Amino acid sequence: MTDSIINRIVAAPPAPGHTITVARLDGSHTVDLAELYRASGRVAAALRREGIGEGDRIGILAINCLEWVLLDLAALRLKAVTAGFEPGKFAAEPALIERYRLAMLFTADPGAAGHPSVRAMREVERWAAGSDPGGAPGPVEYGRRETTTLKFTSGSTGQPKALAASVGSIDASLRAVQQMFTHGPGDNIFVFLPLSLLQQRYWIYSALAYGHDVTVSTYEAAFATMRRTAPTVVMGVPGFYETAKRHIEGQAARSGTGAAAAARRLFGDRIRYLWTGSAPASASMLRFFNECGLPIFEGYGLNETCIVSKNYPGASREGSVGRVLPGKRVLIDEDGVVSVASDDPVNVRYEYCAPGESQRVFGADGVVRTGDLGYLDEDGYLFIRGRADDVIVLDNGKKVIVRPIEEQMRLSPAIDECVVFCPTQTHLVAVVSPAGAPPDGRAIAEHLARTNRVLAADERIRTVVVADTRFSIDNGLLTSQYKPRRGQILDRYRTAILSSEEGVHVL
Amino acid sequence: MSSDLVSIVRHQLAAVIDDTPATEIDLDASMADEYGLTSLNKVLFLTSVCDEAGVELSHFTEHDVASMATARDVIDAMSAHADHSGAGV
Repeated sequence: MTDSIINRIVAAPPAPGHTITVARLDGSHTVDLAELYRASGRVAAALRREGIGEGDRIGILAINCLEWVLLDLAALRLKAVTAGFEPGKFAAEPALIERYRLAMLFTADPGAAGHPSVRAMREVERWAAGSDPGGAPGPVEYGRRETTTLKFTSGSTGQPKALAASVGSIDASLRAVQQMFTHGPGDNIFVFLPLSLLQQRYWIYSALAYGHDVTVSTYEAAFATMRRTAPTVVMGVPGFYETAKRHIEGQAARSGTGAAAAARRLFGDRIRYLWTGSAPASASMLRFFNECGLPIFEGYGLNETCIVSKNYPGASREGSVGRVLPGKRVLIDEDGVVSVASDDPVNVRYEYCAPGESQRVFGADGVVRTGDLGYLDEDGYLFIRGRADDVIVLDNGKKVIVRPIEEQMRLSPAIDECVVFCPTQTHLVAVVSPAGAPPDGRAIAEHLARTNRVLAADERIRTVVVADTRFSIDNGLLTSQYKPRRGQILDRYRTAILSSEEGVHVL
Repeated sequence: MSSDLVSIVRHQLAAVIDDTPATEIDLDASMADEYGLTSLNKVLFLTSVCDEAGVELSHFTEHDVASMATARDVIDAMSAHADHSGAGV
């Protein structure tokens, strides 16, 4: 496999001159990428002495840190398989080690010490600082279908199911992204989402392969780090940019400067573009950043497909999620449901899933049924209209796609999030997460009236249930990527949704 | 406790949560439960407080931030550093 980017980055150190900066609130640490490579060799040698070899699984449960990066690269150099666990979602306990058959679990959680397979992240720091010039691992080479890491995604059993990611799928995504965005010596890509998400590690692989800087921070240090390091590219989900937009608007109003100046104060003055995906982005948010002079490019992909399509400079169309990447094919059935075929699939099945879950998503030929509704325009731009299971069929046979309605409701500054349900197949009820506390009921009602005026009769919302608290990751009503959890929201507000009396009605 | 610091915290929290005037913020209420402060908004709020108070955010760790549940927690945490940084006393 001569053209593999993964094979290239494990084979030899990059040319010196580009760095990785790892930032926490209390400081940052910058390492030349060539030294990062050498340190990962020392960590790999230590892992091998500990008995880790090809195919063994290493769990990593920690916030973003340099040791995370070193373990990932060391595992690649040994052909060991990483399993990244997000703190807060997983606990460092024996059940985790047993369930996912981990040879070792690295964690910063001191409470986990004592289990024979648990290692402290500090141990990695010690290994990296050691000297073992003769012990660096020998060369390895991956085939396209070999896997390097387990990704986790929510499962119907309540336990996350796993998806092992193939080298071919990682290579294909990195290559396509590089063709579109031509990251190079002047770039510094900023990552603050958890490294347990494989795509966040792509930007470290990209730095090693294409010679640019990369900055990794914790979630808490994100804004402070952006100002300090002035990145050229920021990797964020739409929820992050929505929050940033509200902050920028507030700062601009208070300071009397324009939004563009306030945006530069937050993101730094070197931004080349902002990357977003993983969840639907609102048109108003995308337009806001573009008008601030910070071009933002939305894309589309799932854990099961990796990046499918992406807008990029010179090939961007408003409302779309971009053109389909080389090596990917989007297939749209007669109901408008999107499936994705890949030359290099991420995988063709889940692990640790309930019976039938793999078959529901992966076709026999490896084609992934996304469950999203979409269409391709005449120029090949993909438009996603919502989830197939978000299509409500009314008792009169009329089909209603809820996402555009929810987006319309979210245009109100009084509304943070909106999820539409149809409790009795006759009318729509929206549950909104208020932007303020206490909620501005009058503003919500006025916006409901405005929204209903532009909707067809069957699409109008009869009642709005205002959530008693904002949807958040902490209260379980948003996913870690800020997507509303429909099932949990329905469970929490079922009584109010079914009541004909409660809630905000059109003024 | 610096009255300026209290004012800064009230003012910046009000700016993030909307709708509750700075003077009506209950310093002992949970910022997440009572005012719907999301984790990302909390980071922005703390960054803004540090900016205005002239306190380096680098005095704190991720663990410190996680343990700041109320506005008073923020004021207490900032107080130790604000005096040395020249924020109004």
